[in-house]
Amino acid sequence: MPVSSLYVHVPFCARKCSYCAFYSEPSSGELIDRYVGALIRELELVAADLRPRTIYFGGGTPSLLNLRQWERIIDAMERLRLGGAGEWTVECNPATVSLDKARLLRSGGVNRMSMGVQSLNASLLDRLGRVHTREMAFKSFDILRQAGFDNLNLDLMFAIPGQTIEVWRETLREAIAMGSEHLSSYEVIYEEDTVLYDQLQAGKVNADEDLACSMYEELVDCATTAGFEQYEVANFARPRAFHEPRGDRDGPLSLSLSPFEGERVPKAGEGLVDGSDARREAVAAINPQPSTLNIPTHACRHNVNYWRGGSFYGLGPSATSYVRGVRTKIMSNTQRYCEQVEQGQHAHDFSEELAPLARAGETAAFGLRMVEGWPFEQFRQVTGFDLRQEWAQDMAQLVKQGRGQILPDRFLLTREGLRFADSAAQLFLR
Amino acid sequence: MDAAHIRNFSIIAHIDHGKTTLSDRLLHRTGTITTREMEDQLLDSMDLEKERGITIKAHPVTMLYKAKNGETYELNLIDTPGHVDFSYEVSRSLSACEGALLIVDAAQGVEAQTVANVHLAMKVDLTIVPVINKIDLPHADVAQAKRQLEDILAISGESAILASAKEGIGIDEILEAIVERIPAPKPTGAPSVQALGFDSYFDTYKGVVTHVRIFNGELKAGMQVKLLHSGKNVEIKEVGSFNPKPYVRERLQVGETGYMTANIKSPQEVKMGDTITDARHPSPALPGFKEIHPMVFSGIYPINTGDYEHLKASLGKLQLNDSAFAYQSETSVALGFGFRCGFLGLLHLEIVQERLRREYGMDIIATYPSVIYRVTLTDGTVKEIDNPAYLPEPTYIETIAEPVVKVFVICPNEYIGDMMALITEKRGSVDHTETLDTRRVMLTGMLPLNEILIDFHDRIKSITRGYGSMDYDHAGYRESEMVKLDMLVNGEPVDAFSCIVHRDKAEGRGRALAAKLKEVIPRQQYAVAIQAAIGGKVVARETVGALRKDVTAKCYGGDITRKRKLLEKQKEGKKRMKSFGSVNIPQEAFIEVLKA
Repeated sequence: MPVSSLYVHVPFCARKCSYCAFYSEPSSGELIDRYVGALIRELELVAADLRPRTIYFGGGTPSLLNLRQWERIIDAMERLRLGGAGEWTVECNPATVSLDKARLLRSGGVNRMSMGVQSLNASLLDRLGRVHTREMAFKSFDILRQAGFDNLNLDLMFAIPGQTIEVWRETLREAIAMGSEHLSSYEVIYEEDTVLYDQLQAGKVNADEDLACSMYEELVDCATTAGFEQYEVANFARPRAFHEPRGDRDGPLSLSLSPFEGERVPKAGEGLVDGSDARREAVAAINPQPSTLNIPTHACRHNVNYWRGGSFYGLGPSATSYVRGVRTKIMSNTQRYCEQVEQGQHAHDFSEELAPLARAGETAAFGLRMVEGWPFEQFRQVTGFDLRQEWAQDMAQLVKQGRGQILPDRFLLTREGLRFADSAAQLFLR
Repeated sequence: MDAAHIRNFSIIAHIDHGKTTLSDRLLHRTGTITTREMEDQLLDSMDLEKERGITIKAHPVTMLYKAKNGETYELNLIDTPGHVDFSYEVSRSLSACEGALLIVDAAQGVEAQTVANVHLAMKVDLTIVPVINKIDLPHADVAQAKRQLEDILAISGESAILASAKEGIGIDEILEAIVERIPAPKPTGAPSVQALGFDSYFDTYKGVVTHVRIFNGELKAGMQVKLLHSGKNVEIKEVGSFNPKPYVRERLQVGETGYMTANIKSPQEVKMGDTITDARHPSPALPGFKEIHPMVFSGIYPINTGDYEHLKASLGKLQLNDSAFAYQSETSVALGFGFRCGFLGLLHLEIVQERLRREYGMDIIATYPSVIYRVTLTDGTVKEIDNPAYLPEPTYIETIAEPVVKVFVICPNEYIGDMMALITEKRGSVDHTETLDTRRVMLTGMLPLNEILIDFHDRIKSITRGYGSMDYDHAGYRESEMVKLDMLVNGEPVDAFSCIVHRDKAEGRGRALAAKLKEVIPRQQYAVAIQAAIGGKVVARETVGALRKDVTAKCYGGDITRKRKLLEKQKEGKKRMKSFGSVNIPQEAFIEVLKA
């Protein structure tokens, strides 16, 4: 069964942001050209084992690639029969979106854009080291709509040093008013090798946990009040399309959840719920097996696949692949990546294959980040283990703490439980 | 050598006044070592000693000196540990001598340590030969040094030899004075051999090597001897002296100094200051023997619990060369398995900890040092308590007495006010103030031992910008209003932080500890209450607020391995935490507070 999920890392940025620990380097035209060639070569290497239903170009700044470079990639994808995915997302920076580029991407098969807005407050954008202004965010959003994108995500950050709850509330209000289909929101985390981390160590900024938590609560409240449905710790999506599905065979509304590669899953619309647990239980009863795709229409299927322990290929420097239980990582060095791939070799520098129980524990731990929790049957199909046997005590403990809930067909974290998803994850690791 | 041609002497001096340089000079001038062998600080064989400029272990060295009268003398230099923590060791070493060289730095004059050591030497009736050293320094003030000898120590300034050990000035005069002024040893007239065991070290092949001074009769290999205070009979395997390396001799005769070995496997079997005599015709014991007891106690724990066995083995090895150091295993809720260790004093404690770290590579943490309290219970019995954990409930306690010390502090005139304030803050009193010269005064006072344990010496140094010096001597016990301060985490006492403190200081200490704990205890899923309590009464309280969330917002495919490893590490970390009720506290947090 071919792998149905593809991630491509584009390791170039106009400027490194102060919080960012992802691999990227300053762009140079020549190196980007060489990278595009190498990427196409790498696509050729895996094409036989790949039939993507979801594609995600992340970075870095994928939108930094110019029209000609994108054309080369899109042509190669078509030639290799990798196009036509039900969900094809490209990340973009508001400073690098043009109408021409947006139209090219849209006509090439990209149907979802994720825009890294981060903040709509001018001084915070500056502090984060972003290259764009708040005006660019509004303008780029309009350009994307104009180019025909009807599935847009906005990335926002909270707990930025200097950000007050009022500033956050204002950013949330303005971002929601833009009317995207999807919202992702992350707390600033202080990762080593970032400018922010160094500032934290040097005592130049403070991490205020209470404030961060209030901001998180504010996010959940504002987003759900505005009609978003939370489907993962940090992800929110519109439950209904603003536009009717275009009727593509693999359109976003009928996309299968990829752990069951090749398997048809009932249309998401059949099982949609408003988020209440009682309703979920009812849905579960109607569709006992296989489990319903219990997520909002505009949820990002590509990311759901990660949390559900599905296989995916990751190409480009520093990208991770997870194929049939084996995780590999490509070297974080564009130059060397190109050299390897140009010689027809994979450029991995890390590989890991966990024992079945450890792998199942990991899958359990990360899947619980999803609001719908883990359907027992689905978990068994993915991992071969039964949550109710191996993890009975852990689930009971979480239930006792008011952080977990056991339903007839599934285990899920409560709203409070989601706020302590890392503690829960620790319990499930084996 | 006949006793008339033997001289046994020590050198007493303040740190850095030139004791080691002078020793080396004497060894060189008598031809005991060649120039090539004259390595700096030859006698201080431990690195730590060199670094701190102090001698911890005493090594006797035998020199042959041809005096101006044409006769050859055997001069035995018995080195002493310079610090009063080791005052019993010092007094034993001094007892092995008939005289002492007293070195005073011509530029710095008499210091606190000089005073303390001279008092010890006078107690055992030694003939004192004063030496004013470093006369070559540009700011040397010989007249003043002489005046101080007379005023403070009642030693004739005129009798002082002027010297510079560094430049080799006055060395011959010193050697002549040793022969001329210091009396030759005299037999005690006892019916059989009497030898003083004044120190020992452990040799892997020979077992315990005991340093001895013969007061009567002689010792030789094959003799059956009795260790009077240890109550042990042994056969002597070997006797010898040091030059400065050990060499075997046929016999050690009256007045001589050297070593003996006798297949003794543990230094604990030979008591410091014991008398060695003939097993079949024993003579009476030499005067001055005391059982030595640790004065200061502290718990020592491995930072990695897995290192417990390693620590145990290291302490055992350390004790082989340090019979004054005592330890026994103990368990702490906060710190796990470790050892309650007893020390002669603060410097001894620091040295042992430092040696464990450096020589044995141990990662250790020590609890607050404690002294021994004498607790009189309501039923009249008296208990000695060296661990706060064993202090009886207040209702059973009639009184508590704490050890006090007589302290000598020498400081420049301008800091006298600050110094008095420090002593008052430390619950001490100044009994008298003496002017040493135009610049300095000496304060003599009484302080509780537990008040000088933590930062007294550092404070003196910082108040006086390094010019002050301090020494002390134990001065018995006095009744005091001591209370036990407990630190509670969510209502449960954390044993590692319990301490016995004066009532007036308990609240301040409790407040400081609570604040520090608040800083280091990581936020938990539940609120953590930190309290300081005396008896049942809470005197300070802090709260570590509950974590309101524990989740990384962002988690994508590429993150999963890294994130999983992080979670695994945290999960592993939780297993190593100590539980206090529903609260888990990492050991690192306790260590952080103890380090502060």
